[in-house]
Amino acid sequence: MKRIFYAAAALVASALNSIAHAEIDARAIAFNCRNCHAESSLDAKSSIPSLKNLSAQQIRQALLDFKYDKNPATLMPRLAKAYSDAELAAVAEFLSRN
Amino acid sequence: MAGLSRRRFLQGVAGLGAGVLSGCGGLPLRSGAKAHVVVVGGGFGGATAAKYLRLLDANIQVTLIEPKAKYVTCPGSNWLFAGLANLDQLTVDYQSLQDSYGVKLLVDRVSSLGAAQRLLRLVGGQSVTYDRLIMSPGIDFRWDAMAGYDQAAAEQFPHAWQAGPQTLLLARQLQAMPDGGVVLMVVPADPYRCPPGPYERASMMAYWLKQHKPRSKILILDAKRSFSKQALFEAGWAKHYGYGTANSLIEWHSLADNPLLELDKQNRMLTSEFGDSFRGDVLNIIPPQTAAQIALQQGLTDSTAWCPVRPLTGQSLFDEFIHVIGDSAHYAPIPKSAFAANSEAKACALAVTSLINQTPIAEAHWLNTCYSLITPEHGISVAGVYELDSANAIAPVKGAGGVSARTDGEAAAMEADYTRAVYRSLIADTFG
Ligand SMILES: Cc1cc2nc3c(=O)[nH]c(=O)nc-3n(C[C@H](O)[C@H](O)[C@H](O)COP(=O)(O)OP(=O)(O)OC[C@H]3O[C@@H](n4cnc5c(N)ncnc54)[C@H](O)[C@@H]3O)c2cc1C
Repeated sequence: MKRIFYAAAALVASALNSIAHAEIDARAIAFNCRNCHAESSLDAKSSIPSLKNLSAQQIRQALLDFKYDKNPATLMPRLAKAYSDAELAAVAEFLSRN
Repeated sequence: MAGLSRRRFLQGVAGLGAGVLSGCGGLPLRSGAKAHVVVVGGGFGGATAAKYLRLLDANIQVTLIEPKAKYVTCPGSNWLFAGLANLDQLTVDYQSLQDSYGVKLLVDRVSSLGAAQRLLRLVGGQSVTYDRLIMSPGIDFRWDAMAGYDQAAAEQFPHAWQAGPQTLLLARQLQAMPDGGVVLMVVPADPYRCPPGPYERASMMAYWLKQHKPRSKILILDAKRSFSKQALFEAGWAKHYGYGTANSLIEWHSLADNPLLELDKQNRMLTSEFGDSFRGDVLNIIPPQTAAQIALQQGLTDSTAWCPVRPLTGQSLFDEFIHVIGDSAHYAPIPKSAFAANSEAKACALAVTSLINQTPIAEAHWLNTCYSLITPEHGISVAGVYELDSANAIAPVKGAGGVSARTDGEAAAMEADYTRAVYRSLIADTFG
């Protein structure tokens, strides 16, 4: 009985894992975007653009442009260079949904 | 560990998890909650961890324990010296964490951690049990580093390294100083809270002195040979404050080989090992630092007086159920900053939810961005992106990060603007 319970729990856990896995890295990176890109409506006058209402494609393109120095900026080129294109795409996808 | 946490997990599934001792006035575990995570310290690390835990998994009960009902942010506190902010504008509370995220707040101070029973005792008499504990209690000071400078002396010669009354006291002393007076700023060796903080403070003081007491001088007496964003600060000081000339408002001296040993309170004088003495009208002595008292007392620190952790999860090397983040913990080469504490908290919250839910732990990504104002219109920045290297140690990602690349007026003005915008965002992300 006990063994069956363990096995069932392990199965459930591994099913959850495979679902969660694809987006896990994106969360770990994307959460850090919120330190600067706050989504608070109180700060509508902020010079740092909100990421709300941007599509995954728009965010992804912006990140790649920063990474490959096609869009000069003070900070983002220094950050975007830390991530692979695939990571940036995953981050864009996550941010467009959250 | 896997066995233990699996058992706890199954208990949670079966609804048997009990987070809190009954009969001690402890908190009951909310029905349906699968685990109780207690966060100690409502600063940048603790508040972020509490909020993101609830965001990640609403079935985890989160209790935040913090003795102060309101928290004054150190970031922005240097702006006081330039007359750009007051303490009220830098004060936040925990209302939103409670109302919007369902974090339970206990306004109290933790007096001990009973690691064996996973039981916290609070100064107010209550006790609270936890499934996992996240500690972010900040810093304390080494009062034995300089003869004559102790806690009592700090009331007269403020460090102002924890924002609040000390910051106000120092600002008032600066305002009361005669024109032509000398501010002595004593800066410790690494590691300490906010590596660029002293130089930003000197800049903000110089900005105010330039307008009100232009014959004055700020003497920075540094235990280091070099400092964070040094080239950017020095270029800014040269541009605005005559740095490098006889009339400079700011002078920087490395005393790496000639440490300051003694404070003569009566004469407001500091004496170094070689017998050099420095007299000031205002003394801002920033002592060397350690992890907060509670971490030291409860055996979470090593010989460095900071808390060693496994970086991926933030777990203490001494107790796998206790995670330490923020300034108390040893996350070097990530600097001790609010931005970093926020980032460490998010990585830790992800790891803690994974441990509780028995899912794989995500690769950790940390970020630090730190802006400093040299004048209200001249900002500079440094950024660092960090990951685990093949030896599981924290390492900066090669080819990324670094200091402001452009230093022309337009970029400096943009970075000054971002300094303020990032402050507001960081507060919103942490406390909002
Ligand atoms: C002058 C100055 C300027 C700065 N500027 C910046 C900046 O521009 N950007 C930046 O990123 N960083 C800046 N920092 C650094 C930043 O303030 C710290 O790195 C940050 O506050 C660390 O967060 P923390 O959670 O580790 O500790 P803290 O924010 O200090 O929070 C610790 C909390 O724990 C509580 N606590 C302690 N002991 C107990 C106990 N026993 N029980 C319960 N609660 C307890 C305390 O009351 C406190 O609220 C600056 C620092 C200074 C001094």
